[in-house]
Amino acid sequence: MGVSAILEVRDLHTQFNTLDGVVRAVDGVSFDVARGETLGIVGESGCGKSVTALSILRLIPPETGRIAQGSIRFEGNELTHLSEQQMKSLRGHRISMIFQEPMTSLNPVLTVGTQIAENVVRHMNVSWAAARDRAREMLDLVRIADARRRLDEYPHQLSGGMRQRVMIAMALSCDPQVLIADEPTTALDVTIQAQILDLMIELKEKTGTAIVLITHDLGVVAETTERVVVMYAGRKVEEAPVEALFENPLHPYTRGLMRAIPRLDVEADAAGTRPRLQEIPGLVPILTQPIVGCAFAARCELATDRCRATLPPFVDAGGGHTVACWEVKL
Amino acid sequence: MTVITDDLVLPPRRFSLWTGIRRNPTIAFGAVMLALLILMAVFAPLIATHDPFKIAPVNRLRPPSERWWFGTDQFGRDVFSRTIYGARVSLIVGLSVAVISSALGLALGIACGYFKRIDGFVMRIMDGLMAIPSILLAIALITLARPGLGIVIVAIIVPEVPRVVRVVRAVVLSIRSQPYIESAIAGGTRNMKLLVRHVLPNTLAPLIVQSTYVCASAMLIEASLSFLGAGVPLETPSWGNIISQGKTFFQIAPWTILIPGAFLAVTVLAVNLLGDGLRDRLDPRLARRL
Amino acid sequence: MTAYIIRRLFATLPVMAVVALFVFFLLRLAPGDPAAIIAGDDATTEAIEAVRMKLGLDRPLVEQFVVWVWALLQGDLGVSIFSNLPVTRLMAQRVEPTIALTLSTLVVAVSLAIPIGVVAAWKARKLVDRVVMGFAVLGFAMPVFVLAYVLIYFFAVQWQLLPVQGYQPMSAGLWPFVESLILPSVALGVTYMALIARITRASMLEVLQQDYIRTANAKGLATDRVLLLHALKNASVPIVTVIGIGIALLISGVVITETVFNIPGLGRLTVDAVLKRDYPIVQGLILVFAGVKVVVNLIIDISYAFLDPRIRY
Repeated sequence: MGVSAILEVRDLHTQFNTLDGVVRAVDGVSFDVARGETLGIVGESGCGKSVTALSILRLIPPETGRIAQGSIRFEGNELTHLSEQQMKSLRGHRISMIFQEPMTSLNPVLTVGTQIAENVVRHMNVSWAAARDRAREMLDLVRIADARRRLDEYPHQLSGGMRQRVMIAMALSCDPQVLIADEPTTALDVTIQAQILDLMIELKEKTGTAIVLITHDLGVVAETTERVVVMYAGRKVEEAPVEALFENPLHPYTRGLMRAIPRLDVEADAAGTRPRLQEIPGLVPILTQPIVGCAFAARCELATDRCRATLPPFVDAGGGHTVACWEVKL
Repeated sequence: MTVITDDLVLPPRRFSLWTGIRRNPTIAFGAVMLALLILMAVFAPLIATHDPFKIAPVNRLRPPSERWWFGTDQFGRDVFSRTIYGARVSLIVGLSVAVISSALGLALGIACGYFKRIDGFVMRIMDGLMAIPSILLAIALITLARPGLGIVIVAIIVPEVPRVVRVVRAVVLSIRSQPYIESAIAGGTRNMKLLVRHVLPNTLAPLIVQSTYVCASAMLIEASLSFLGAGVPLETPSWGNIISQGKTFFQIAPWTILIPGAFLAVTVLAVNLLGDGLRDRLDPRLARRL
Repeated sequence: MTAYIIRRLFATLPVMAVVALFVFFLLRLAPGDPAAIIAGDDATTEAIEAVRMKLGLDRPLVEQFVVWVWALLQGDLGVSIFSNLPVTRLMAQRVEPTIALTLSTLVVAVSLAIPIGVVAAWKARKLVDRVVMGFAVLGFAMPVFVLAYVLIYFFAVQWQLLPVQGYQPMSAGLWPFVESLILPSVALGVTYMALIARITRASMLEVLQQDYIRTANAKGLATDRVLLLHALKNASVPIVTVIGIGIALLISGVVITETVFNIPGLGRLTVDAVLKRDYPIVQGLILVFAGVKVVVNLIIDISYAFLDPRIRY
């Protein structure tokens, strides 16, 4: 992967200072994003996936949080070394981001057209008139009907699905190399979810933008991504091509997640009942204390003393499938 | 953007007096200052070095010295002793206005929030009173009465009451629309019981916060009225009066104004800080308004 | 929009009616004999009767009310007890310095306080913010007249940079006019500025937490565009509200500031009238000041529609 990787994250540590101590929200995560691919990052809420995304764009609020350690290379440039000005010219241009809440992520007092066009003006060195044309073009692209009229509307005049389309239009308006999508469909209706995901994949094919799709929904991962990183308590526990992960989940946590998905493809038994959905027992560990050993050990039925004492290294299961678990027998 | 940390799991927080003070130093500072001022007012006769009323033309306009710590005024009265006694007027006015207008405001606010029939009528009157700047309203009331501490207190209460009514009424209306209150009404709970059990406790926090601001505002208005010559009787040593009488000789004896002025500012500051601290502690929603 | 403005205009009528009723009945229903109180402690019976006649207090209440309201609707605020001049004329003579003082204070305070509040919110919990908020808390506790004397003491008496007292009309030249307004405006404006700076900071802090600000930052927009367009426009409704509420502070402050600086405006007129118990003047001034406040509130209410597209009338 290394040669074609456009974004390389290595040993990322992001921490927050709270009244209760330092929270290790991201604790040594590494992964690559290849040009034009779709990478899924999956995990429960609070596992650090959103913080990972914000860390890449260096949008961690400096009053409370910081990237404590690690490297983020974009097209070979070390992002953690860039000045804030250099980062600003990258954001929304080479790397852009869309967020979970379409209802609150657009500015309520500015028109849709202004919000898309200002991104174009900022990064493409064009006039406002040209940027407005570009904005209309983008609205057409994300299939918002009557784009010309919509440009002058305010976000509250649009539905949730439409707003997320506007967000996508905005994020893609400067042809970014990487689009980070943080739970882009979680807040939407199921039918709208599918439309938005299809749209994102279609646009990816058209523009060649790599997508980092952050979600807690394994169904979304299965449908849209090519490769998956599974995160737990601020750490990566498993990484695999999407088919490999679903066919052969190796980490006990990943398996637990799989068992928690409702399945329609499993036959009901004679009595008409399907297998019970299983939850993963226990709670995500408290992140203010350093975790010794495997983060999942406290909830893992296979955990041994070694798991609790020593951090398991990543082992290669072949075909780009790696996992960090002492108990996996390859 | 602090939202990000919210979905991380945190251990329960510990509370202690020390962390309380550290997290909310304004309450502590305000309360300590206010306590000192109250002690000063109560023990004024013990603290004062001179008789605050004693006129001694020989000693007029003496600068601060070992004998007259804050100097003397144009009648030779000791500014230190007068300032100490002045704390009494400010505190009496501030506290009594705060208590009485809170009580009146609470009663009217609950009545308005509760009984639709009187709401419109009372609130129109409150809107009208609030349209009149408070010093002018107080002045108008004082114009029609003989000077005295009582009338000053009444004159300040009238413009302050509507502000309390508004706060209380807003709280009552928002509580009334809560599902649990609606179901209690539907279930036939008696009005009185509903008031005591659900409404009163909820109005308490905003009421306490508002009454500290009323207290600060009352002290400022009292001093302003005295300064304008429309406040407590001239011979009463109030901070406003001391300043008012000092203004003619301000250029040669600035201490007669600057020292009681500093006391007034610090007192108002202490009450405001106490209010800000209580607001942050008790009623974070209100914190947005100021 | 026009329909809303008209409706809103009509809504101000009951407020003004309450104010008018209040000042009318305050005099008539005051405990004791109002004529005796107005005439003063050592007034003769004839003097008291003269006051009673002049104010029409000897007539039936209903008749007094009709006559008074009729005059009021024609813009007649009555006649001063002491000078026998119409209250409106006395006010017209005094209005210029007050307008000059309040407008200069308003403009300077608003144009300084908002940027200060924005910077404080932007640099929240940093040194700049703490210094600014420290001053705001102090400014809010500082009585106008105390601050006025502190300013006079340093700038006029000690350093002799500015005049101690007095007012120069614009006809006396621009610099003397401006010079005479600097200290009064500062004294009058500090509390107001503190109020606006605090609400600007609080409102901005809340807005800066919002998701759309994160979106704006994720677009790499310049900091000034994020702060001054994306954030400030969203924060503007509470700020404008407080600018309006604060007008009351300015009006109360004018009464004191004009007394300290010896400025012959409406504030001084008020104080002189109170000290002479010239009730018709006090009554007229209350009506005028309340009217100003009501009109300002009206303007503020209407301005909301321009600041937030979600508000429709």
